[in-house]
Amino acid sequence: MKPDDIANAITQALIQGGSQWMISTIVAFLPALWTMTLMLHLGRPYVLRTLRRCGLRLGADVWWMSYLLMRDAVLLITFALSWIFFSPNIVANAALPITGPLAALCLLIALAVKLSRRVDDDVTAYRVATVFLVLGATLYYGPQVFAIEAASQTYLSGFGQIFTSNSDVGVALAIMWVSLVGVAIIAGWLFVRVSINANRTMQRRHAASQARRTPPEAVPVP
Amino acid sequence: MSVQDLTNAIISGINAGGEQFLEGTLAAALPVIWLAILGLHLGRPYILDMIDRFTLRLGADLLWLVYIALRDLLIVSGVVMSFMFFFPDVVTTDQLPLTGALAAAALFGVLLVKLMGDPDHDLNDFRLVTVLLAVGAALYFIPYVVGVQGNAIAAGAMANISNFLVTSSNPNWAVGIGYVATALFAIMGAVAAVYVVRTGGRAEIQESASTRKGA
Repeated sequence: MKPDDIANAITQALIQGGSQWMISTIVAFLPALWTMTLMLHLGRPYVLRTLRRCGLRLGADVWWMSYLLMRDAVLLITFALSWIFFSPNIVANAALPITGPLAALCLLIALAVKLSRRVDDDVTAYRVATVFLVLGATLYYGPQVFAIEAASQTYLSGFGQIFTSNSDVGVALAIMWVSLVGVAIIAGWLFVRVSINANRTMQRRHAASQARRTPPEAVPVP
Repeated sequence: MSVQDLTNAIISGINAGGEQFLEGTLAAALPVIWLAILGLHLGRPYILDMIDRFTLRLGADLLWLVYIALRDLLIVSGVVMSFMFFFPDVVTTDQLPLTGALAAAALFGVLLVKLMGDPDHDLNDFRLVTVLLAVGAALYFIPYVVGVQGNAIAAGAMANISNFLVTSSNPNWAVGIGYVATALFAIMGAVAAVYVVRTGGRAEIQESASTRKGA
């Protein structure tokens, strides 16, 4: 082997290895993010209890604002990183939980519920979001713990075979495409909803500014 | 050896090394997180004493909120970082404390008590949290110090004990304990989810019931 061959091998290894390392790091961090998402969402009663004890409005506002920002940002980041489940090449080649795309879909549904209804005021909406988050987490954790991270356990090999994406590529891709259609439908619905809302708000504002500009009708002097 | 063989060898080296480095870093950070959690929990009387000395309500509120946020976020981080104890491949490969998964379950139990009870105002809940933290810390630190950090210098019977307490040299127990902890996690997670669904995210169940009546 010539020095050039070794240089090429190292370069290719760094590129391919780096890309695989990036994917595996995202996969390794997703359980942590899912856990954070769940804990922050489920921890709402505790946060509210602490908030009630604040003597000053400022402290309560800072506390609530920090909680909301963290909770929703973690939710959004978890969904954003779950996007690897919608890359056909990665799904077919890397060992990912086969139900990962469905988990991401559940996460998006929970986000959609948050965007379309006032989850922090509407008890039913909060419950719906909770159910989708718990369902998504279960779909993620089950295959992650007992299939992807249990390859060394021979008695779990059957489970691992069924629930690992690269060992059952046909089913994995089918689940991925179905979930992707779900994601597209929900994202489309969110876009339509936001644009209708924006149109309505703009029209209302426009009408109000027009009304301000139009001089009042002259009242005839008797 | 062909160029492709060399490339593949470097790729697997990067991936395996990177993964073990990440897990090693998490394992090294966990004792620090555990110590900080214990310090903040046990430091509660000191914080309360300091709050009494504030002349402004704003300062007292902010100190208390920063304290609570730090303390509870560290517990959440501890649980999140302990997730690797539930992965059979990780515990059989890496040198981790044998009962680390049970320590994580105890930490999750603390969060559950905080969710369903009121440890900052209810003495029984506070005692329960303290006991869970003490048990969790013992389950983490004993195998960590005696096993993971002491297996190279231990000799004789102590070496056997030391190896027993490390996951990679006792994989059957490690995986079994991991499953028990996973089951505990699943049960506690289900309890938390049911509680939150029942309350609808409100502070107490009673309150949500009365709100419904009022509505």
